[in-house]
Amino acid sequence: MPPKPATTKENLIGDDDEVLQAVILADSFNKRFKPLTTQKPRCLLPICNAPLLDWTLESLALAGVQEIFVICRSHPEQVKAAIKQSKWSKPGSGIKIVPIMTAKETFSPGDALRDVYTRGLVTSDFVLVMGDLVSNIRIDEVVRAHKERRKTNKDAIMTMVVKESSPYHRTRSKGDSAVFVLDSETSECLHYEPVMGHPRTNVAHIPREILAEHPNVEIRNDLIDCSIDVCSVEVPSLFQDNFDYLDIRRDFVHGILTSDLLMKSIHCYVAKDGYAARVQDTRSYDAVSKDILSRWTFPLVPDDHHPSDQAYELRRGNKYLAKDHTVSLARTCKIGNNSLIGASSQISDGVQVLSSVVGRNCTIGPRTVVSDAYIFDGTTIGADCVITRSIIGAGVSVKDNSVVERGCLIGDGVVIGPDAKIIPFSRISKAPDEDEESDDDEESDSDLEELEEDEENNVAGKLGVGSNAILWPKAAPQEDEDEEGVDNFENLRFMRIGDDASDIDISDAGTVSSDGSDESSDEDSDADTDAESAATTAASMPSGTPIPTTPFDAEFRNEVNQSLERAFAEGHSVDNAAVELKTLRMASNVSLSRVREGVVAAIVDRIKLVNTGPAAQRAEIAAVVNRWGELINKIGGVDAVETITVLQTHCAQSERLPLFGQVLAALYQDDIVEEDDIRAWHRLPASQGEGVNGSVEEVTNLKKCWAVGARMIQQFDEQASDEEDEGSSEEESD
Amino acid sequence: MSTESMSMSSQRLVDNLAYKLKRRQVVGSRAAALETLLVLRQVVSKARFSNIDQLVDIIRGAGRKLVEAQPKEYAVGNTIRKVLHHIREEYQTATGGVPSTSRTSFSISKFLVQGQPRKQAVAVQSEDRPLLKENDPDDPDSFAKGLKPVLMEAIQDVLDELETVYDNVSKNAKDHIHSDEIILTLGMSRTVEAFLKSAAHHRKYTVIVVESAPSYGGHEMAKSLSAAGISTFLVPDSSIFAVMSRVNKVIIGAHAILANGGMFAVTGSQLAATAARAHSTPVVVCAGQFKFTPMWNLYHEYAALDFGDPSAVLGFEEGDLVDKVDVVNPYYDYVQPELIDVYITNYGDHPPSAIYRLIKETYYDEDNELDSSTTAPESSKS
Repeated sequence: MPPKPATTKENLIGDDDEVLQAVILADSFNKRFKPLTTQKPRCLLPICNAPLLDWTLESLALAGVQEIFVICRSHPEQVKAAIKQSKWSKPGSGIKIVPIMTAKETFSPGDALRDVYTRGLVTSDFVLVMGDLVSNIRIDEVVRAHKERRKTNKDAIMTMVVKESSPYHRTRSKGDSAVFVLDSETSECLHYEPVMGHPRTNVAHIPREILAEHPNVEIRNDLIDCSIDVCSVEVPSLFQDNFDYLDIRRDFVHGILTSDLLMKSIHCYVAKDGYAARVQDTRSYDAVSKDILSRWTFPLVPDDHHPSDQAYELRRGNKYLAKDHTVSLARTCKIGNNSLIGASSQISDGVQVLSSVVGRNCTIGPRTVVSDAYIFDGTTIGADCVITRSIIGAGVSVKDNSVVERGCLIGDGVVIGPDAKIIPFSRISKAPDEDEESDDDEESDSDLEELEEDEENNVAGKLGVGSNAILWPKAAPQEDEDEEGVDNFENLRFMRIGDDASDIDISDAGTVSSDGSDESSDEDSDADTDAESAATTAASMPSGTPIPTTPFDAEFRNEVNQSLERAFAEGHSVDNAAVELKTLRMASNVSLSRVREGVVAAIVDRIKLVNTGPAAQRAEIAAVVNRWGELINKIGGVDAVETITVLQTHCAQSERLPLFGQVLAALYQDDIVEEDDIRAWHRLPASQGEGVNGSVEEVTNLKKCWAVGARMIQQFDEQASDEEDEGSSEEESD
Repeated sequence: MSTESMSMSSQRLVDNLAYKLKRRQVVGSRAAALETLLVLRQVVSKARFSNIDQLVDIIRGAGRKLVEAQPKEYAVGNTIRKVLHHIREEYQTATGGVPSTSRTSFSISKFLVQGQPRKQAVAVQSEDRPLLKENDPDDPDSFAKGLKPVLMEAIQDVLDELETVYDNVSKNAKDHIHSDEIILTLGMSRTVEAFLKSAAHHRKYTVIVVESAPSYGGHEMAKSLSAAGISTFLVPDSSIFAVMSRVNKVIIGAHAILANGGMFAVTGSQLAATAARAHSTPVVVCAGQFKFTPMWNLYHEYAALDFGDPSAVLGFEEGDLVDKVDVVNPYYDYVQPELIDVYITNYGDHPPSAIYRLIKETYYDEDNELDSSTTAPESSKS
């Protein structure tokens, strides 16, 4: 294995002074930027005229990261070349950047992390970011906090950086956000629930145990997830162990937090100062560009510290012009606030550039209006055009009198017009050239073939006479049904530039409920992203009330019995039996109380009925309870009151009714239930058989049990007064 | 060219500082000046050169890089100019060139006779009276070897001056502040802090500190002053004009002092100086000599074009507003020379009108332009 020697060497360096490592996942694993990303990877798309990757590297450099692994999948040779040419490869940059090419079969961040693990890249705690991050947060402080925490708590494996904002902040993605439940004191993340724009959720399901175990929790829906994670070395190995983890948030974080077996914890770092955001879709592209131009990312701003080392000059009102005096502005042109114009660009007479970014070597013809648009390098726009809230690729030519309405994405090298009218949210790319041998990957090929079928849609008038372009079909909701989760069609609308999606908010009620009923029987944990489906609510909020027995339940009960019988028969240790039960519970996704019922029932049934007198019976009970009683508290949660209730219900239904008092006494002797628990149980109305619908016999049995309990409490009281007496008498004798 | 003759290690040092300046990890005039000096010392000690021009080129090359990295920290350029000045001076004494007296005693009358000083300086340099042999083909390092000790001494002088600048600025403090006066100051300035504390040893007086939003440096200043036993009030920026009628003197710090006698200073200085003018209250500026910058502020009447991060003014969490409001958070104000009465420096007290002369004495004219972009701090015409 070639990487081996390298890692040992890093180990040596790491011993001297901790080298801070970072892993950049320089692939988006989705298609939100197509067709802009057909010819180049997303991380090389320019934002404010510098490739996204440069912004990310700069953000990491700001935090003092010394070694960076860039994991690239699509167009890796371009990423590699870009890194080689950048200032980072020069000696003296103080940063070592290693591009890692991963296999084409890497389809998710999870796969990429498994690759990180198999290559053995990271040797200590590392920073995991996406290749589309723009941040000025002091990540080194987060790393320090993380390491500090690790000293006392080895199970804190990850720290997620989140930025405070407000729920409707422009930079906070409406389509892909989350509700975080945090412990107010330790800022441990207790629960993570993804929220999508569509289907819309109005409820967050928070497991009851969280509220029971933590006195102070914060439930927050105002955090921007920056996807900056400070991870321990275990994290890639956990991905390796759980081969079904795809997404870092939806699968990994959710999996770790809900797992009883791993006992790992994840913390959050709520960044109050600084800025961090991801360019995860075209909408956030717009938002982050605006944030950069209005200087929220300071000192990462074009005039101060442009990541690609282009010099810009700031004029009042956040207007940035290339500093080398190559920009030619006509006397009558108007440059609005929050605009940036790259070197060697020419702005003609009467042009208005409003809140837009114009790349280098662009030409904008007379009287054209460009507002809230992003124009990449080398693009020519003719006279009298109107371009609104769109992204125009590099080398595009928009001829005279064309109108590009909001939300359009125009791929590299496209020629449209003259007189083209592009309707909102169109996606346009260059038609495949017959002569040219296409060396694209199969993926984009198939995309293009798809397109050709649709070519009759291209009414000649729409794109203009001289156009070489094709219009992408509008993905209809039906076609996209295979895209579940975040990338469903309606949800993607929340991530499009220029789309306020105001119509979805009103019209979606019907679709939500039908989706819910379809999936309610689905045991997949994805179901909890669904709206107010009753079954889901019940499953994620275990309550004391018995759940109606379904065939599924019976099966589980059966499994529990079998596993316990095996344990009894083969004499397993209590711990082993407990682990087995936990696994079983995870596998069948049932509540804790169901397991408890099973365990108590199995233990009580285990007790042999002896006819030779109460003393022998008592010995028999003590033997069983001594051996197995502990198991009741080891199945994942301690709730002694419920244990007694379950015991009572079970005894009431079986012929072991007379044993109730003795079993309870034995449990009390073994400290499995305490005196206070018995009192608490005794006070419950349900313990007296009130409100229980069962046969008359059962209710009377319950009442009998309650009476036994009452006697026991009486004894406690007597004992207590005895002890007091003894205590006082002893004091007297002293 | 110059960069080639710079050794790898010193080039790395320069790059390193350039990045630090860019990322604003080194902020403040004095910190920037100190860092620059330390780097320059390394550069000079490692440099290989066989005549003075090569050495000057090396230093200029390093300087250009640093200034380009952060054109808004004027102290970087000033330090480089100062070091160049000292080096030339040492060179001239070492080679027995025309002593600098003829240059420093430059006056208007001589200007008429002799013409531009630039030409004169060049003439001095071309004179070659070798005590130290330049461009020796047998031993190209001999020149460097001979000159280096004096050069290091020269740089050490600059360093010493920088380290003692607060003491030297404040040594005459008691002559400027009288008993029972009320002094108004603004934000946090180490120079002003040292000045006021030094005066407090001799006089009993009151300071009104303006908190200077949004950095709120005034809070720190007020704490420090009251800890030193000075009776201190902290007031918001909005009450500057209201309290001005009771104030005897305004004492503020500077970020950079420009050749026309104006200065860049922390936001709010312009407000305070204007209010002081309205009440005919004297405005005193305390600053070290390293802040003298041979530049003019040609285009902006009120501010330097150095804007910070809007988050100090409007929280990022105010989502709705962020979308609709353009927030401006300027770092520095430009204060015109007419509003300032006197500069107190470690080289004595001077009126704004005399600053040009100090600058001429401090730096060589040909060093004023390290690169084209520093001729004017801002070349924008907005």
